This record gives sequence, C-alpha cells and structure tokens, in this order.
Amino acid sequence: MGKSTLTFGKAGVTVLSLLITALAIFPLLWMAIAGFKSQEEVLATPFKFLPNVWHFENYTVILRDPAFQKAMGITFIGAIIFMALSVVVNASAAYVFARLDFRFKKFWWVYVMLTYFIPGFSITITSFIVVNKLGMLNTMGVLILPGAASAGSMFFFRQFYLNVPLALEEAALIDGANRFKIFTNIFLPMSLPPFVIIGIGAYLGYWNAFVWPVMTITNEDMFQIMQYIYNFRSGRVAEMHLLMASSFLAALPTIALFLIFQKYIVANLKMSGLK
Amino acid sequence: MFKKNYRHDNLTAYSMLAPILVGLTIFVLIPFAYAIYLSFTDWGFYQAPVFVGFKNYWVNLTDPLFTKAIWTGLKFTLYVLPAQLVLAFLFANVLKGLKGKFSGFVKSSIYIPTVISGIVASVIFVFIYDYLGGLANYIAGLFGSEPIAWLAEVKYALPAIAIPAIWLGFGITTLIMLAGLLDISESYYEAADLEGAGTFTKMWYITLPLMKNISLFLLVTGFTAQLSQFELSWVMTGGGPVNETQTPNLYILLHFLNDVMIGRSIAAALMFFVVLGSISLVIFKILNSEKAVEG
Repeated sequence: MGKSTLTFGKAGVTVLSLLITALAIFPLLWMAIAGFKSQEEVLATPFKFLPNVWHFENYTVILRDPAFQKAMGITFIGAIIFMALSVVVNASAAYVFARLDFRFKKFWWVYVMLTYFIPGFSITITSFIVVNKLGMLNTMGVLILPGAASAGSMFFFRQFYLNVPLALEEAALIDGANRFKIFTNIFLPMSLPPFVIIGIGAYLGYWNAFVWPVMTITNEDMFQIMQYIYNFRSGRVAEMHLLMASSFLAALPTIALFLIFQKYIVANLKMSGLK
Repeated sequence: MFKKNYRHDNLTAYSMLAPILVGLTIFVLIPFAYAIYLSFTDWGFYQAPVFVGFKNYWVNLTDPLFTKAIWTGLKFTLYVLPAQLVLAFLFANVLKGLKGKFSGFVKSSIYIPTVISGIVASVIFVFIYDYLGGLANYIAGLFGSEPIAWLAEVKYALPAIAIPAIWLGFGITTLIMLAGLLDISESYYEAADLEGAGTFTKMWYITLPLMKNISLFLLVTGFTAQLSQFELSWVMTGGGPVNETQTPNLYILLHFLNDVMIGRSIAAALMFFVVLGSISLVIFKILNSEKAVEG
C-alpha cells in the first residue's frame, strides 16, 4: 500500500485516534456522569470527575416525572409520524419526476426546486402567521405537516430512482400493472437505502427541533422534549444534576438510532452527491 | 418513453404529486411571498398592514445592532469553520490509515455529537463553562489562571460558544472528508513515492487539489450553517454580554418575540437571506473559476 497517510507510526496513530475519540465523547460522558451526582457535588470545587456516591435515583426521578414521560412520548410519536410522512410524500413525488411523463412536468419541477433555495429561517415568522391563521397552533399538525414536503429529500430519492433499470418497469407495464402499483410493488421495496437516510434525517430534525415547537406549542401537555429541557434549564436553576440526567436521557434515543443504522449512514456519505 | 400511457399518467402523476405540491405551497411558497409583502408594511397582530415602502429595510440598516449582528455571525463563522475544516482534514488523513474494528469504533464515536441537539449541547457547555465548578476553569487553573466568567465576558463569550459548534460538526465533517480521501486513487501516491515525494509534498500536490470539490461543498454548507447558528447563543447567553453573541438569526428572533411591529424582523430575515445567499454564491464562483483554470 502506498504511504498516502500522515506518517506517525502505528502507535502514534492509535493514540491520536483514541485522544480525538475521547474528546468527541467526553462532553456527553461527563453529562451522563454528572447526572449521578448529588445537587451539591455537581458544581462543587475542587473539580472531580466521578461522584463520591452514585445517585442512581436522579435518573429514576426524571424517568418518573410525568412531564418528562409526556414530552418523550409525544415527541417520539410525532417523530415517527413525521418520518413516515416525509418518506412517503417525497418518495412518491420523486418517482413521478424520475419516471413519468405528464403535462406541465417542467413547470412543476421548477416550482418544487425553487423552494429548495428558500432558507427555513427567512420564512419562520410568516409560517407561524400562516399556521396561526389555519388554527393549527397547539396541535400535532403544526409540528408534523410544515416540514414534511421537502425539495431536498425529494431530489435525493429522485437521484436514486433514476438509477433503477427501465427493464424492470417495462416488464410490469406489459403485464398490465399501473404506475401506482409499480411504485408500491417495485420501487418502494428497493428504496431502503434512501429511506434510511431521509427517514433518520427527518427523525433527528423532529426530535432536536427547538424554535418551531417553542413558537407554536404553548400548551404544557404538548411540550416537545427539547422544550422540556429548555424550560427545565430556565425554571429550575438549582437542579443542575437533574438537568444533566434529563438532557442525557433526551439525547439517548438519537444516539441509539444512530448506532443501529450507522452502517447505512456512513455508506451513504459516500453517495451523497458529492462528485 | 411510454408515450402511449401519457394521458393515463397525468392522473397518476398529479395524485402522487399532490401532497408535495400542497405542502410546499402552504408551508414554503405562501410564507415566502407573504414575507416579501409584509416586509414592506407596518404590521402588528392587532391591526391591518400599512404599506411603508422600504422603511423596515432602512430601519434595520441604520440599526447598529443589526450590522453588529452580521459581524458577530461572520466572526463566529471565522472561529468555527477554519478550525473545523483543518482539524477534520488532518484527522480524516489519520483515520484513512486505520483498519478494521478499531477504525469502525472511532468513526462511530466521533459521529455521535452530530446527532446531539443544540439544546443538549448548550446544557453541557454551560456546565463546562461554570464559573466555580466547571471544567474550563479547572483546566485554566492548572495553568495558573484565575477563574474566568467565560460566557459573561465580552472577549471570551463568542469563542466560548464556538467550541460547542466545532464539537457538534467535527464528526460529520471528518467522515465526509474521509469519504473523499478514499476516492483518491492509490496509484497517484504510488507514483509520487517512486519520485521520492515526502508526506507533505504529496498532501499539497495530490490530496488537496483532488479534495477541492468536497472542500467546496463543506465550505459553502458550513458557511451558511455557522452564519445561521443561533440556538447555542440563545440558550447559553441569550445574546449577551452586551449583544456580543447576538448572531443574525437571534437578532431576528428576539425582535420578532419582543417587538409589536413585525415587518421589521421579517425584513431583517429577508436581508439576511440575501447576504447569506450572495456570500455563498461568491465563494462558489471563486472556487469554481480556479477549478476552471486548472482544467
């Protein structure tokens, strides 16, 4: 093998990698451990990494907090629906643009792709006014519907569908299958790789969303998980140890999701249209 | 293709397109058109819009805080982006030499911060920057420094917020760089080895030029992402001390939340969108023209 990498020697490379890895994980780890400390110990001087006594009850207190349970549950349900919806909406549009011929196709293509260049933040305020006029504030709809249709995700699916061999479709057409059937029976089953990427992206986006829920959800029963954390932070300043425990718990589902699907994510970084 | 099905396709096509067309129209295009309209009016929630021409734009332009916010955003980007790109490039080169399980472990670990939300990152780093019990002052103390109020002092607040931003984006940037490195054919390096080229010669003449497309991609996306950052400063400092960490989006948001008249913050959002768009365009053009020369 050609020596194309920086030459530190094997031991040096291993040590350096471990160091960087530790730096990447350390803040999270520290938060998780702080969640086990007592209220006095969490910000005590002199600084200590590990707690004197491990307070496992911090985590159970949070897990038993009805507001936390509600926020986790409702955010999870919303994220799953949002994920499914964005996959279905964008994949079906992508199939149409990749494979069908229809009247005004060029016009609708430009119409959809134009939205790709409108950055989300420049329309946040007026989107709020629109959903307010539609009477959608404090509903799940306001969290799920606005972001589901996305030109970027649609484009990603389309690139994938353009590479599906035509022969597959021709055979089905000769057998008399209609386009919709072809989409559901041939294209959807083979779409796992883009599903995972767009789906996980949608899930993460929903789960980590902060500004939009803060603006549109004022009913405490519907607080999303990041809203819960934010309110916890501003409302209960003294309880840093519980804040750490709850923030760590709130981050766990996304970390778990990533670890489960990491192979797909890393593999897709290569085909993410960079070349 | 399949021209005979054309008429039949119209119905299928439009029924399958309907969700995306309706969604984008209601939640993107209408708000965008509405934003352009409202930016030319004085409007509050309790009264009809009054057309005022370019007044809102002028009010923002002459507000020192608006220009300051743009500068703050640029400064913040300048702290985050070069550090992130250089570190990621170097570490991607190290990672390229790793094989097997260990490499997989490192790759997944460095990616984890990428899936963490800005809110959780803020919570962690507020804790790290705590005046008495925080890690940052503990480390500074090892070097003999007195405790520093990282998030409350004008000269430290913005760099302090840049650190979590670097942390959040480091993993994905590294992995994208790595994907690019793995695409470079080994034969280039083998040829260079025969010529007796050293590590840095190879990096300068082979790796860097071939990484241009990926670097451009990361530069433009990173630029817009960092310039738009506001969650970290919203949660960590609320924009302070004395507006030192008030990035453009935070400026817009705070005006929307606190002002009675909304046209002004909408105009600011559109102006910022134009600034952001043109800077990306310029970066894109510059890098593209160099590429053309290289041919």
